[in-house]
Amino acid sequence: MRLELKGLTKKFGSFTADDDIDLVVEPGQIHAVLGENGAGKSTLMNMLYGILTPTSGEILIDGEPVSFSGPGDAIAAGIGMVHQHFKLVGPFSVADNVQLGREHTQRLGVLSAKAARKAVLDVSEEYGLKLDPDAICEDLPVGVQQRVEIVKALSGPKTELLILDEPTAVLTPAEITELLQIMRNLADAGTSILFISHKLKEVQAVADTVTVIRRGKVVAELEPTASEAEMASAMVGRAVTLQVDKTPAEPGEARLEVTGLTVVSDAGVKVLNGLDLTVHSGEIVGLAGVEGNGQTELARSILGLVKPDSGRIAIDGEDVHGASPAARIAAGLGYIPEDRGRDGVVAEFSVAENIVLNQYRDAPFAKRGAVNAGAVRKRAADSIAEFDIRTQSPEEPVSALSGGNAQKVIIAREFSRPRRFLVAAQPTRGVDVGASQFIHSRLVAERDTGTAVLLISSELDEIYALADRIAVIYNGQIVGEVAPDTPREVIGRLMVGGGIHDGAAAASPEEPGAPEPPAAEEAPEPPAADETSNDEDANGGDR
Amino acid sequence: MAVDTMTASPAVVDESVPVKFAKPGGVLAALGLLLVAIAFAVVGGDDTTTIAFDRTLTDVEWALPTSITVALLGAVTAAGGAWMIIGLPKRRFKLVAGVAVTAFVLGLLFWAYSQPGTVFRAESILAGALFLSLPYLFGALSGVVCERSGVINIGIEGQFLMGAFTGVLVANITGNVYAGMVGAMAAGLLSTMLLALLATKYQVNQVVVGVILNLLALGFTSFMYDQLKKAEGLNSAFSIPAISWGPLADIPVLGPVLFNQKIFVYIGLVLVFVIWFLLYRTRWGLRTRAVGEHPAAADSMGVNVNRLRYWNVTLAGLIAGFGGAWFTIANSLAFSKNMTAGLGFVALAVMIVGRWNPLGVLAGALIFGFTTQVARDLDASGGSVVPGEFLQMLPYAVTLVVVAGLIGKAKAPAADGVPYNPGDK
Repeated sequence: MRLELKGLTKKFGSFTADDDIDLVVEPGQIHAVLGENGAGKSTLMNMLYGILTPTSGEILIDGEPVSFSGPGDAIAAGIGMVHQHFKLVGPFSVADNVQLGREHTQRLGVLSAKAARKAVLDVSEEYGLKLDPDAICEDLPVGVQQRVEIVKALSGPKTELLILDEPTAVLTPAEITELLQIMRNLADAGTSILFISHKLKEVQAVADTVTVIRRGKVVAELEPTASEAEMASAMVGRAVTLQVDKTPAEPGEARLEVTGLTVVSDAGVKVLNGLDLTVHSGEIVGLAGVEGNGQTELARSILGLVKPDSGRIAIDGEDVHGASPAARIAAGLGYIPEDRGRDGVVAEFSVAENIVLNQYRDAPFAKRGAVNAGAVRKRAADSIAEFDIRTQSPEEPVSALSGGNAQKVIIAREFSRPRRFLVAAQPTRGVDVGASQFIHSRLVAERDTGTAVLLISSELDEIYALADRIAVIYNGQIVGEVAPDTPREVIGRLMVGGGIHDGAAAASPEEPGAPEPPAAEEAPEPPAADETSNDEDANGGDR
Repeated sequence: MAVDTMTASPAVVDESVPVKFAKPGGVLAALGLLLVAIAFAVVGGDDTTTIAFDRTLTDVEWALPTSITVALLGAVTAAGGAWMIIGLPKRRFKLVAGVAVTAFVLGLLFWAYSQPGTVFRAESILAGALFLSLPYLFGALSGVVCERSGVINIGIEGQFLMGAFTGVLVANITGNVYAGMVGAMAAGLLSTMLLALLATKYQVNQVVVGVILNLLALGFTSFMYDQLKKAEGLNSAFSIPAISWGPLADIPVLGPVLFNQKIFVYIGLVLVFVIWFLLYRTRWGLRTRAVGEHPAAADSMGVNVNRLRYWNVTLAGLIAGFGGAWFTIANSLAFSKNMTAGLGFVALAVMIVGRWNPLGVLAGALIFGFTTQVARDLDASGGSVVPGEFLQMLPYAVTLVVVAGLIGKAKAPAADGVPYNPGDK
């Protein structure tokens, strides 16, 4: 099947998730779509699979324009999808999951278990995907569950195009190797594959052609022979040069010391692997890296939302092990979360309530257990003026604000209270240029008051604009700490696990020599993962 | 939990390796010993318990010495408990637990019926138990259909009331008792459609809607009851005869229980197996269970989640409405205010005890029906040692035990009560 997208656009209110996407998947081709989280990949796939309706543009299959009103239409047109969060009914058998929606029946809708079992065996034999049709899905390891998903996608009436949405996110290295082989076999058998990923090595290993999208736009068409650094820089962008006025940093004492931090995910993968990092007062340390290398876990560990498996986190020289997030915040930790909607604001609460969300228990906002509405209103009015939050009134719910203004609410909240250390994760994601400038200048001003700032960003330009020191994270480790004037190519190489001295570029004087990062395949073999995120995903939220 | 004490190797679970079940075993052993103590300390030495087949073999009676029988049953209970504590093959657990619990309940019964003048009329009581289990059965089956597709239905009580009321009204208007039954079904169906609409299209909190529908049904039927009192012949009792299966009805025990009952009993029993078959053996059932477990998965395979939920909730209303007709037509009663007396809520407990499975629901309903019948019987004869209320309390205790997960885990459908919005990505 030849799939062509012409000017496909999806808007959510004023936010454009996908903007004028053009893309062609040739028959039997593995076409990788590369992009950071939030770049618009999943939205694109959901349009292709009929879950979302495009705002404009068209989808052509073998030259014929099609329109899908639901996944059923996409399946009928020959498209199969393997979702990032598996869509498997846990207590069902493999055969039942595969036949759901296109059941094998005898007369009057009575199921034929025999036919269903045979259908699974036929497909698994045809493509070499070994499966037991009677196994209960929730008992299977994640890798096998994914195989069920693939068989399910291939079992459509005439599946010729397979969409794989971040298929390796939950897999162990061994399972990833196996999946890539399966993909290759499928393509050789004539199935077209659309492979969504932000993992460069996998894309290089398996794709025939690569499309990079960033902020909803196609920014590059690359050959798989393109270097990882090239792909990485296309993903994180270099278009806009951000200019922030700042004086050289005057680092003081260490405010955050992370030593040997290790976090093992539920799937048994070491997402943080003995990470060491120090941030001093009066400096901004930029944490650069391709997303998914442990940034999220690091930020959440510092706040106390994730319990590290080993290692030490000290804030102001004091080990915070076992301290609750509230205690850490009270001790002067500020936190700008990467996922604004989930961790940043209570969308249904008003702007004023969100601004005092971390201080509502303290004077003057609370008096003997009751909220002091006057003080809250005054603080809200002050913050709205100071941070230029565009809102109709302090009583307006945050859900009515644009992304940039919602982010300003968070910044206002975190900045209007004494703090000694600030974690800013993707502080300008989904924020327009003007608001980004404002947030950047506030971060610098914050540094100048002596606060230690850890800036986690997937945008290299942002790191360059703000950081006084750049730490590069890869596979859960800091693989290099370099000066802010280090060339892009060097950082790009570090971000994908290359050595610092591979090129001709000069390294920073404080560079301790990058440790050899373990290749993905050599990562410790975890036990077969037991459960996926199926439970929390029960109602299909893709958040 | 019992599973925590498993000693078998997790790699290959050998079913014959003894496993210890300390908690349930301890409870059963204590109850059994208590029963033995009662047998000797409380029951008089010459007390006897009389059992009679009162319908088929009217001249046969057995009189058993109470204290010895109760002591034996108590010993059986205690022995079962002790076996669980020592450890028994896992596959034997259910059997042993069943025997021990049954022995305990029988012990209580023997004790309760040991008073002079009271006779355990086995056939009447068992037949009555089956009949009295019907409201639980219909209500719980309605709940199963609803909750298996992911919608919580707290409103069964209200649907009962609507069915009970409309059944009598339609029967009076048409003069046909079967038309009344159809009317009851229609009333249940229509009053549930509101829940179906609000739960699917408008994604309202289902528990809140259910509670409100209950209050609405109570208010509406009570108001109409007052109005009908003024008009003659709109709320008169209608009754239907029991269906006698000829010679089959004369078989001891089985005859009175199974072959000489009202049509409600047969519809209820058939419905159990029909719904079980539909749920586990048909396309509709597969999709219904998928929609209740993981609606997004069903949606991604082209199943219209909310449309399926809508019609399932409506169908559940039809079943509950028919269950409502039991209160009036099957009992040959006119409608009276709040005559369902909370049984719609008990039906939800039965559904949980039955673990959202029609066969489990049947077992649960029979237990509830049996204790209700025995309690009524004891209260009618008067002067029982064990108060009827105590026996009536037992099924609720069982419910708590099941819900607390002591005897296996009662697992609700994963998406039960969670509205599904396909656009909410």
